[in-house]
Amino acid sequence: MLEGLYSAASGMEAQQAQFDAVSNDMANVDTPGYQSTIVGFHDLLYSNGNYGSNVPTGAGAEAEQMGRDQTQGAIQQTGQPLDVAVEGQGFIEVRRPDGTIGLTRNGSLQLNNKRQLTTQTGMLTQPPITIPAGVDPSQVSIASNGTVSVGKQTLGKLSLVDVPAPDGLVADGDSVFSATAASGAIRAAKGASVQQGALEGSNVDMGAEMSKMMAAQQQYSMGSNAINYEAQMISIANQIKP
Amino acid sequence: MMKDGRLPGAMDTGLYIAASGMLAQQVREDQLANDLSNASTPGYKTDASVQSDFGSMLLANTASGQPIGQINTGVQLGTPVTNMTPQSLHSTGQPLDFGIAGTGFFAVRTSQGVRYTRDGQFAEDAQGLLVDGQGNDVLSQNGAPIAVSAQGTVPASSLGVFNVNNPTKQGDNYYTGAAGGRGAGVVKQGELEDSAVDAVNTMVHMITATQTYQAGENAIQTIDSTMQQSASSVGSLGG
Repeated sequence: MLEGLYSAASGMEAQQAQFDAVSNDMANVDTPGYQSTIVGFHDLLYSNGNYGSNVPTGAGAEAEQMGRDQTQGAIQQTGQPLDVAVEGQGFIEVRRPDGTIGLTRNGSLQLNNKRQLTTQTGMLTQPPITIPAGVDPSQVSIASNGTVSVGKQTLGKLSLVDVPAPDGLVADGDSVFSATAASGAIRAAKGASVQQGALEGSNVDMGAEMSKMMAAQQQYSMGSNAINYEAQMISIANQIKP
Repeated sequence: MMKDGRLPGAMDTGLYIAASGMLAQQVREDQLANDLSNASTPGYKTDASVQSDFGSMLLANTASGQPIGQINTGVQLGTPVTNMTPQSLHSTGQPLDFGIAGTGFFAVRTSQGVRYTRDGQFAEDAQGLLVDGQGNDVLSQNGAPIAVSAQGTVPASSLGVFNVNNPTKQGDNYYTGAAGGRGAGVVKQGELEDSAVDAVNTMVHMITATQTYQAGENAIQTIDSTMQQSASSVGSLGG
């Protein structure tokens, strides 16, 4: 009976993981460039001989992070000269204060007090790009390949990069991802471009998220009922007097 | 007590019969709990244990030794049967999700050899190959790993569909078994197979198993008090 209790509990934990992913997605429905999470489920090892019965019985289920939905989010025109929307498969390369490289699709850029282009949380583009003093952001133009220029003078280029397996990227918060062994090394993106004066919307589909949440809730409460029945069996067994 | 002094054959046979029934319900309950936990697992198939009775034994009249009939000696559990009926596919829109419409399995290469699965929720690994949720390579019909295109897609026809004889569940959505040629099912891209778990039915079976367990326990209590009676009251003076 104890095995059944743990199976039911593992099912509930798996649904909890789905809840957590859905909650995170819903909270980020307005975050530029956000991609919704995909959760997968699998069953666990089967073992023989519970209670001496030689019947292989499973041990419940487990959830795993499968990656992100790569669907392009809707492009929203903002008219802000330092906003860029990434189109296609790729990321903007940024550098964290500790020097490590991050990837982001959140192209809502601004200038820091040294007039360098940074993300909303102050991470520099990689390589850093400085807008000269006296130049208003409205005079800056960003080409679709990321080249940043003022008039005929090129100031630098936003580095558009990709990894072989985007599902292996690790999310660090602040809309930034890190490459890992599972994702493969950072390389130049093929087929990605940026659009100045626009932002990519979050690709979270509220309808789909609500459905996922309701299904997870249903299954969570069924798991709870299953635990009750298993517990009833245990208390029935306890009533067999010695 | 029989004429030659032996105790009648297993007065407590009833206890063991009831206990075997309770054991069968315990195992059934655990199988149902496992099924319920996997109601979201793509391609999951439910298990049912075959219950049969043990051989019957002959009962004899304790006084005359005359055989009076047979009783069965309880429940035994056979190997579980996995219901492999294909379920419907639902669309996910993910380019690397695949479902098999019809019978057959996908094949993956794990470190322990080839395993089969109905769960087609795949991804691309760092080497550009199609892999499953455990990171194992998905195989084409001739057993080779499949490369993902630059656009991040794989045509449905690249994936191998295999027939498996006597599939046995391993966990991680894998089955082992002997390959038996090409499967008949058709691979669909952007779709995943539903779990075969019917949650309502499973809950009802859990209730039934609990009640049957309770009935077994009641039987044990009754037999126990009968034995108490025969041990203490029968033959006592003034009783």
